[in-house]
Amino acid sequence: MDYELTEEQKKLQQDVAAFCIKEIAPEAQKLDEGPREEVCKLMERNLKKLGKAGFLGAGLEGAAIDLIDCYIAGEEITKACASTYISARSSVFMCGGILKLFATPEQKKRFLPALMKAEMIGALAYTEAEAGSDIASVSTTARKDGDVWVLNGVKDVVANAIIADVLLVLARMEKGAGSEDGMSLFIVEKGARGLDINDSLETMGLRGVPVSVVKLENCEAKEIVGGETGKGYEQLERILKMGTVGIVSFCVGVGKSCMEKATQHAKAKKSFGKPIGLYQGVGFKLADMFTYNDLGRMLGLRAAWAMNEGENDADILGSCAKLFAGESATKIANLAMQVFAGHGYIKGTDIERLYRDARFGEICEGPSEIQRTIIANNELDKFM
Amino acid sequence: MDFTLTDEQKMFRDTVYRYGKKEIAPLCEEAELKGEFSFEIWKKLADMGLLGLPFPEELGGSGADVVTCCLAGEALGHAGVDGGNLLAWGAHTYLCACNIFSFGTEEQKKKYIPRLASGEWIGCMGLTEPGSGSDAASIRTTAVKKGDKYVLNGSKTFITNAPVADVIVVFATVDRAKKHEGIAAFIVEKGTPGLSTGQPFHKMGCKCSTTSEVFFEDCEIPEENLLGSENDGWMIALSGVEWDRSTLLSPFLGASIYALELCAKYANDRYQFNRPIRKFQGVQHRIADMKVFVEAARLAIYRVASSKDNGQMLNPLQAAVNKVYVGDVGFEMASEAVQIFGGYGFMHEYPVERNFRDARLGAIGGGTSDIMRMIVSRIMLM
Repeated sequence: MDYELTEEQKKLQQDVAAFCIKEIAPEAQKLDEGPREEVCKLMERNLKKLGKAGFLGAGLEGAAIDLIDCYIAGEEITKACASTYISARSSVFMCGGILKLFATPEQKKRFLPALMKAEMIGALAYTEAEAGSDIASVSTTARKDGDVWVLNGVKDVVANAIIADVLLVLARMEKGAGSEDGMSLFIVEKGARGLDINDSLETMGLRGVPVSVVKLENCEAKEIVGGETGKGYEQLERILKMGTVGIVSFCVGVGKSCMEKATQHAKAKKSFGKPIGLYQGVGFKLADMFTYNDLGRMLGLRAAWAMNEGENDADILGSCAKLFAGESATKIANLAMQVFAGHGYIKGTDIERLYRDARFGEICEGPSEIQRTIIANNELDKFM
Repeated sequence: MDFTLTDEQKMFRDTVYRYGKKEIAPLCEEAELKGEFSFEIWKKLADMGLLGLPFPEELGGSGADVVTCCLAGEALGHAGVDGGNLLAWGAHTYLCACNIFSFGTEEQKKKYIPRLASGEWIGCMGLTEPGSGSDAASIRTTAVKKGDKYVLNGSKTFITNAPVADVIVVFATVDRAKKHEGIAAFIVEKGTPGLSTGQPFHKMGCKCSTTSEVFFEDCEIPEENLLGSENDGWMIALSGVEWDRSTLLSPFLGASIYALELCAKYANDRYQFNRPIRKFQGVQHRIADMKVFVEAARLAIYRVASSKDNGQMLNPLQAAVNKVYVGDVGFEMASEAVQIFGGYGFMHEYPVERNFRDARLGAIGGGTSDIMRMIVSRIMLM
């Protein structure tokens, strides 16, 4: 038993941290505030920087996905800029990860190296108005028309869609399209006929992530991930299960950023003649921030390790970690805001931005309620 | 990074679990109702070799590493052994015997460890005083050197195992002006003139560990009973932190696993509104929270334990995080377990009631949650 990172893992952590503090962190506020067009350009540039430095594909370079490396890079990128991590992850892990796990060799060759260098940007379009946690209710359809599939439907919240060169779109196979009632992930490339990404959305936090509605009106797709129809649901399910690790790294990164800034403030800001951190009302909040952040990291790494090793309860550990870290991020950001008091409430301050960013962890990719149900049913079934 | 237990560790844990479930847990309810120390249970722990786990075989121990010691506590708690018996076990092994083993002379080790490891003698440790709890450096019990003896005067309180103890490791000041640097540790044996113990306290939980005051009235002990040197006391007291924040917390983890299993069974079997109550999300989500607690607490506890096994310095942040989380959230989870059982959970016949009372100690004993937060925040603000 050994809880320490290996020397290589520590080095990755230090390298990503050093790079991101210098290259990514200074853009965080601009990404939050800027007009949509500028934000998109800035985000593309950030992704290219990370790609060039070799950090965008951390954990995805080997034969199998190394989720510990994914975690380590994720936490450090998020610490510098939460939006940049979510955008990077949508491209490389969500879109790229599915391709890495399930695509044909030709598809991999065409997209994966380009995604890891950010020569291409990817997106994964699955959520619909009536199909969030309940993915089985997806109503986007695919029908066969000669050599191509024709997609129709609306995906309502798609990260990166505006800047994406390649989108993986989940759709239900219509009668005669193969694998009746099954779903498939279709590869849709930028500029495809019938692809409309112009309805961009404003979000509360993570405002640097270019999010939009994706409308498919007789949109043409030439390929299915892996080439075989009817596998889309399982493919998506797999990446979402593994994806809990990345969300934990996001939550812990945001939490750590909040904690460090609040600690600095508690040292520097004086009230009644002494630094406010010396008052237990403030000091104990710092301690709670540390506790929840620290345990969130351990749970995330534990889940990552379990998935790497193929342990039986790996997915449940992922759910536990996502639930814990998601709720902790909200708690920590809230405590940080309290430590900053009025100073954290001002537009343009880091805490004001992080407070909004943090809220994402609990609601994305299986909100806390879904995680609890998954964890509980697994436990309850053992004692039926 | 490696989170696996060795096969040997797993086998040991499973053996202790089965033994605890079969041989010890059935005795706990009655013992707990009486609120008395159970020599029958003590004998069972001794028979399994659990009272001398971390000591070398030549001193009658099993030579177990810290992770294995934690596994024993977890397995016994998981098996349904109450918090009181496990507290008695912990205070004896880790607070008394481990201090003698780590800081004692060869003679002291040879004299005390084999008898403590076999359970023939019961050990305890006396640090807390009526006027000195969290502020342990302010103790007033004095030790004055007189020829080849030390004379102890003062009183200790909340001393786990004191009413039944044969050996006490006690902390006293040889020079109050030096504060913590003037504290020394001594070994005092039962029957020493001037040593007496009070009536056992009536406690909220952990009732099978008997707890009382200890009084020293011109209590003379031979100088060879000094543990370490005269100014080592504070360092000895602090060194126990590693055990406090790992092995002594593992029974709380075990008890949470036990409660989770009881709740899962109950939620499957109990019907209301024509369906098992597991179908209600209010119940379901409590089960999930307990599971998350178990996983996080497990990581926190074994992180401290394995770092000691791997020869790393204790990370005070990790140790404090562990204590505050297991103490505070562990109690919340014990409360949720009572809630799932509803009225039954309020009844003494159901182990979740006992677990609720036992779990309350987690945020108090061995450094309160407030002290843990103080430690963490001070380090953060450095």
